[in-house]
Amino acid sequence: MISSEFKYICPKSIEEALERFGEFQGEAVYLSGGTDLVPRMKLGLKKPRAVIDLKDVASMSTVAEEGDYIRIGSLAQLFQLKQTDLVSNRFPALAASLEATSCETLQVRGTIGGNLLQNTRCLFYNQSEFWRRSKGFCLKMGGEKCNAVPGAKKCFANYTSDNAPALCTLQAEVAFAGPNGSRRFKLESLYTGRSDDPFDLEPGEILTDIFVPNKTVAGGYEKLRVRGAVDYPLLGVAFSRGSDSGRLAVGAVGPRPYTVELNEPAQDAMGEAVATVINQVKTVENTVLESAYRKRMIPVLAERLIKKVMEGAE
Amino acid sequence: MENEYTILGERMKRTDSLAKVTGAATFTADIKLPRMLSAKVLRSPHAHARILNIDTGRAEKLPGVKAVVTAADAHGVKWGVFKYTQDHPMLAMDKVRYIGEDVAGVAAVDEETALRALDLITVEYEPLPAVFNPDDAMAEGAPLIHEEYANNINIHVHIDVGDVDAAFNQAHLVREDTFEAAGEAYSTLEPYAVVASYANGFLDLWMPNAGPHVRAKALSNMLKMPLNKVRVRHINVGGHFGARSEVSPGDLVAALLSIKTGRPVKLALTREENAACTRQIHDIKATIKTGVKKDGTITAKDFRVTYDGGAYSSTGPIATSIPYYVYEEAYRFPNVRYNGYRVITNKGIRGMYGAHGRAFLCGNEVQLDMIAQELGMDPMEIRLKNGLKVGEETATKSVIISGGLEAPIRQAAEKARWAKKRIGLPEGEGIGMGCVAIMCGFPMGFRSGSTCYVKINDDGQATIVSGIVDTGMGNESMAVQIASEVLGIPPEDINLVNADTEVTNLDPGAYSQAASFVGGNAVKRACEEAKRQILTLAAAKMDHAMEDLTIKDRTIVSRTDPSKRMPLRWVVREAFFKGEPIAATGAYMPKISFDREWIKNPQGQMAGTYSFGCSIAEVTVDRETGKICIPRFTAAHDCGNPINTMAVEGQIEGSIQQAGVAVLTEENRWSDGWLLNPDLLEYKVPLACDMPEIDTVIVRSNDPEGPFGAKEGGLTTRMNAYSAVACAAHSALGVPLKQLPLTPDRVLKALDKAKGGDA
Ligand SMILES: Cc1cc2nc3c(=O)[nH]c(=O)nc-3n(C[C@H](O)[C@H](O)[C@H](O)COP(=O)(O)OP(=O)(O)OC[C@H]3O[C@@H](n4cnc5c(N)ncnc54)[C@H](O)[C@@H]3O)c2cc1C
Repeated sequence: MISSEFKYICPKSIEEALERFGEFQGEAVYLSGGTDLVPRMKLGLKKPRAVIDLKDVASMSTVAEEGDYIRIGSLAQLFQLKQTDLVSNRFPALAASLEATSCETLQVRGTIGGNLLQNTRCLFYNQSEFWRRSKGFCLKMGGEKCNAVPGAKKCFANYTSDNAPALCTLQAEVAFAGPNGSRRFKLESLYTGRSDDPFDLEPGEILTDIFVPNKTVAGGYEKLRVRGAVDYPLLGVAFSRGSDSGRLAVGAVGPRPYTVELNEPAQDAMGEAVATVINQVKTVENTVLESAYRKRMIPVLAERLIKKVMEGAE
Repeated sequence: MENEYTILGERMKRTDSLAKVTGAATFTADIKLPRMLSAKVLRSPHAHARILNIDTGRAEKLPGVKAVVTAADAHGVKWGVFKYTQDHPMLAMDKVRYIGEDVAGVAAVDEETALRALDLITVEYEPLPAVFNPDDAMAEGAPLIHEEYANNINIHVHIDVGDVDAAFNQAHLVREDTFEAAGEAYSTLEPYAVVASYANGFLDLWMPNAGPHVRAKALSNMLKMPLNKVRVRHINVGGHFGARSEVSPGDLVAALLSIKTGRPVKLALTREENAACTRQIHDIKATIKTGVKKDGTITAKDFRVTYDGGAYSSTGPIATSIPYYVYEEAYRFPNVRYNGYRVITNKGIRGMYGAHGRAFLCGNEVQLDMIAQELGMDPMEIRLKNGLKVGEETATKSVIISGGLEAPIRQAAEKARWAKKRIGLPEGEGIGMGCVAIMCGFPMGFRSGSTCYVKINDDGQATIVSGIVDTGMGNESMAVQIASEVLGIPPEDINLVNADTEVTNLDPGAYSQAASFVGGNAVKRACEEAKRQILTLAAAKMDHAMEDLTIKDRTIVSRTDPSKRMPLRWVVREAFFKGEPIAATGAYMPKISFDREWIKNPQGQMAGTYSFGCSIAEVTVDRETGKICIPRFTAAHDCGNPINTMAVEGQIEGSIQQAGVAVLTEENRWSDGWLLNPDLLEYKVPLACDMPEIDTVIVRSNDPEGPFGAKEGGLTTRMNAYSAVACAAHSALGVPLKQLPLTPDRVLKALDKAKGGDA
């Protein structure tokens, strides 16, 4: 049950959506598939005064070639996207990460835009209001302390999008429409690097499209999870390899994906690149597997993945 | 084998299947009664605190609120299964002892209003120091959670047979190992709900329960109402596994609210409340010492097992004993000592579980493999050597009347091609075997037996009235199938009325594996008596020897001359004419020792019979990631004789998931007294894609007491599947895994530790 009251709005265009957002002075949220938002509202983590459903904004769900890019509308459904030839033929890393996202039931509901903008997660945060109140509010709830790491003054929630790391390795760009106009930038620049407030966005900005450079790149995605489906990643490693360089991105072990470029993705260069990522990562005990284990699996999954992709590409 | 029966043993479509798969079946939360109110519960935010004051005044004044109840509205009667374990007030009185404990209940016109009212109740607490695991709780100077339990030790089960120390002195080999397992969640698909309706001095209740009679008794005690005024009604139950055995705090809350308002009240818990505030499963630590002869014969066992009991006693003595018993029922222990301690902590309330005791049972089986390895024996041989046989007695003097461990071991091994697979396994692959035996029923005083009434209606159809409870496993269908076989009428001609305290008689309920063996026997006897009445009349009417008559397909027919026949309904109508309608009673009381007591006298016949089982798991282990996969699983279960073959297979398959695969994934995770995964996302119930290929083997031992030779339908797998997986992982890695569940991080830790030379 969602116990807070809100107004439900279903605009027909981006302009109308922006306008309606403005009416609620920052207390509105956008809704795509709702598979991230609704559970958070049920837990009382989000209590918006208005929910603006984007489903009727038709322009936002198409997938098409557009010059040097493939344009993916942010409302594109994950299940449909993974079956789109443009994606499966050209971007195997993305096809693999889409396949690994939750389960088919949720893929049918979830969108790629919502997937990128899903909130960060923590075992101490994604809990009911009763639970959080009795424990004492944490930093991400506006409290004074981190409940996962006693004494910490910083939030350690994880950004668990399966598809963001894959899109980072593909050098994807994201396009937003906002009250102050439109802008387009590298996906990697979307992130603040802060777990409590992960996205560097202006209030009311709508993710309209994702642009992926239109060239075929070998790649893949490896996901660490306890069960064979449904589970969020405890670690996600994506790798894409163009003709002369490769990119590795690691997700679900911090507030954003960590991406590194491998100029010559041969075996020896790899170790160094993976080390660069590992040095940036600080995992803590806020998921169902131990933090040291999750970190330890970064090179294991990365090496396996790179080997598999390189062998396949040869 | 030619089936001598018409429908018994067939793969009969369960009588409840259609309604359940189409969603037509109703459960407690679906009930809507006129003028019904919604209830919510105010819960303790503290793991341990004294209640100084509760002020409900503001909540009572909120428009739409019809009543608020606290312990002051109850009668101060505490719940406990035994007289010596009555410690749980169900609505906190002077203290709260876990986060989520029920403190007050509100009934209002809708759920939103009830929720808002909770915020208006103020409770003044004085927080007290809390303890969250048995070791801390038993330590010198630890805060006492209940005054009456010194060192927070709630239950101590002590069993001592033979001369254990002398046997260890003479043993060829002695091993001691400690195994630990996190507690689990029942994860019933149906979250707990209760509807209470008080009118004209009667209290009607619906809730998922495993035994309506014991539930009504508990509530009549707590409400100080005569037993006949408390009526627990029949309703579908969405899963049990032990979770619904006992009275639940919500029952008391809803009942008090309904009594206070005179209106029906529904309390439906959230998924989180179901996980944190109904029953949970014990975390267990088991130290196991075993002595053997050179040939692998077990000569002595010494166990020290601690159970994290949470805040109250619950089924304490039983939960502290069962893991031991199901092991001694499988193997011969000439000398054995068991010390089981159930320790109170400031965590949620715990209960029995279908897969109870994994640290103990996996631990024993893994250790047996380690011993076999040291002796150069095949793990199968050491199990065969020590397995109990028909006619033998368990260490605490229960006689085995059918089955024995050998048949399931041999049949599982043959099906899994054990001998061939075990040798020359590739690196990273393993195969392991787990065994157990299980009592069908246990002493519950006069409630150990079951009664069934049957009447044959004027259309030749039958109504059977039985206390049997179905919490999802198919017990109702089982009763119908037995009646159909005996009465010679198809299942659709049988109307079952069951699990309603006003109508049905006592029955042990859907725990202790007694439903088929005890309840089924009562149904069979009642139907046999009805059949005798029918055939007596028919013999006279047909002028034919009664011994030569039987009933088949709604017709009385001669066994020797099929042309001699008469419709059943003619005979039934004749009976009505004579003023002697066909109506019969059948009862069954298992042959058990009622002198047995879990703590004071742990010896004598525990149950009427025992089922035996052997599971074989095949695993692969990734040494780099620590991930274990189970590509194939074989389970052999001696159910005596299957009443419904498909239902038995279903139970075995479900057990493989709930124990065998779950041992890789399932655990309740805690941060002090806060349950970290009270949901179905972070509590990892294995999914369809995680399941192995399964071979089920139904072993037949044709029990001399059971109805048509039946015992119980699949619980051995639930208590040995995890052992098979742990043993298989041990065989793959050469390293024993002593911390459960076998998540990949734990597996790598064990490998690291072994590399460090310290296994
Ligand atoms: C049980 C379960 C398992 C899951 N497992 C995974 C998993 O394995 N991997 C994974 O990556 N995810 C997982 N998810 C999360 C989720 O299902 C997916 O990320 C999904 O793609 C989210 O898309 P959505 O359209 O449903 O998002 P929504 O819930 O609609 O939106 C997510 C967020 O983005 C905002 N938003 C949505 N669209 C826009 C837009 N166009 N512009 C601006 N803001 C917008 C919303 O306000 C909200 O804050 C899981 C969810 C559940 C419930």
